[in-house]
Amino acid sequence: MQKDILEIRNLSKSYGRLKALDSLSLTVEKGSVFGILGPNGSGKTTTLGVLLDIIKADSGEYFWFGRQPDASVRKRIGALLEQPLFYPYLTAVQNLKIIADIRGVAYREINAVLDLVKLGDRKFYKYNTFSLGMKQRLAVAAAMLGNPDVLILDEPTNSLDPKGIADVRNLITEVAQSGVTIVLASHLLDEVEKVCSHVLVLEKGKKRYAGPVDEVLEGALSMEVAAKDMLLLETVLSQMPQVKTIKKQNGFFVLGIHEDFEPGLLNKKLSEQGIYLTHLAVRTKSLEKYFLELLSDDHE
Amino acid sequence: MNRLIKIDFRKYFYNRTFWVLSALYVVLVVLVFTGAEAFINKIVSNVGKNSPVTIPNFSLYSFPFVWHNLAFLAGFFKIFLALIVIIFITNEFSYKTIRQNVMSGMSRVEFLFSKVLFVFFISLFVTLILFLTAFLLGLTHTEHITASLVFSKMYFVPTYFLEVFTFLLIALMFAFVLQKQGLTIGLFALYYYVVEPIIAFRLPDAVARFLPVRITAHLIDVPNSALMKLFGVNFREYVSWLDVSVCLAYSVLFVVITYLFLKNRDL
Repeated sequence: MQKDILEIRNLSKSYGRLKALDSLSLTVEKGSVFGILGPNGSGKTTTLGVLLDIIKADSGEYFWFGRQPDASVRKRIGALLEQPLFYPYLTAVQNLKIIADIRGVAYREINAVLDLVKLGDRKFYKYNTFSLGMKQRLAVAAAMLGNPDVLILDEPTNSLDPKGIADVRNLITEVAQSGVTIVLASHLLDEVEKVCSHVLVLEKGKKRYAGPVDEVLEGALSMEVAAKDMLLLETVLSQMPQVKTIKKQNGFFVLGIHEDFEPGLLNKKLSEQGIYLTHLAVRTKSLEKYFLELLSDDHE
Repeated sequence: MNRLIKIDFRKYFYNRTFWVLSALYVVLVVLVFTGAEAFINKIVSNVGKNSPVTIPNFSLYSFPFVWHNLAFLAGFFKIFLALIVIIFITNEFSYKTIRQNVMSGMSRVEFLFSKVLFVFFISLFVTLILFLTAFLLGLTHTEHITASLVFSKMYFVPTYFLEVFTFLLIALMFAFVLQKQGLTIGLFALYYYVVEPIIAFRLPDAVARFLPVRITAHLIDVPNSALMKLFGVNFREYVSWLDVSVCLAYSVLFVVITYLFLKNRDL
């Protein structure tokens, strides 16, 4: 079995003069939870739309499971794109039956996915009586129908209440543990940070970063320190194995440190050398901060 | 194909608009079929009051003329069917369910084919209604029924099917290209009532008769009645193979055009 679930080569798409996708290349490995991050209008939905044959790319190609994409390949992909799309006059079950027929899935699987998104008690209600959050849940259920090998979720927690958001996140984590590859587009950074193993950062249709989330957040832990004798401090710090980087910034040293290194330990070690800190602060670098840094680079 | 029929069936079966429009069509057509003879006779007898020649009463329903008469009459109601087709195809775009269908694993060709099947079954259904009412009216209004009398002009029934099918494929093409419901209904009506008549007026008759709406309408010509013969007007009482071939060619053409349009389009 091939390792790459999805391979994208130089995909481009323009809407008039606007470049929605600019020569994007990417591979998604089997079993990963792949987050696509980017501000509004950065090409997240366009990318997913192309991968689902909803949007036709101007150039470039993509392969699902190492194959040229066709309709039968999409039967192995569960997708939720942008907003729930169902027949308003049909009930939840009738809507899912249509999708089951399209995908060649047995009707008995419908109840299971409806229970999964907690819509079991509303399954015989018409779609147009649903609240926004329930519509979104139904869309998640539709994506899960037939145990797809890949789940594509575009803003899956849109219009959900906090409980619903937590439910969907748990669901994503559970599904991911069962070996399903997940591609998740979101502008909510903590969402991606919480559930994703890999991340692609898009800006104006261009790839800004792609790789494991761990690597993005590497050096995520940092400390700011200062002492009266900065020179001595620097020599002592540079001999510590736990300190990876030292950068001078605004009269402090900003230290890149190993994860298990904590301020108390640093303090203790320095006082043993006769150095007493005048300033010590711990910075936790979140994906959000990283993301903002990355995007602001370009505009300097 | 069964799968596509099953999928599409569910989309219409539970839709109230579909049933209301269908019921309306059936009631309307059956009323017109059964009332037409009395209506025409009444008008003719009023007009003919002062006529020196006695005008014979019409019999619309006697075999074998009933097939031609009612098939011609039914042709006036196909615009109603076009409305149903347009509503349900543009619905897929306004609900964006075509997206959901395609991303769930339907190909664009399958989607188009499912709608061609929809048009096919509507045409089949209305042809069946024509057949049944004409058959029953014929049975009850013909004095000496023989098998040859019943069957001799029955070819107007399948011809009616082709008329409706080709016509509805024009509506299908409009719906797929324009996608917006109001716009499609508006422009289709405009084409049907204004644009094509104007084009036809500008063209020589020999060419104009091959325009899509016109050729479907003239596939079944005005039935000759005793009255028409009285005036020396003589319409075509047969179906021309040329017309049939052109209609078939149009049917293929409209589906191909729709396919080419749908193939590379963002949904």
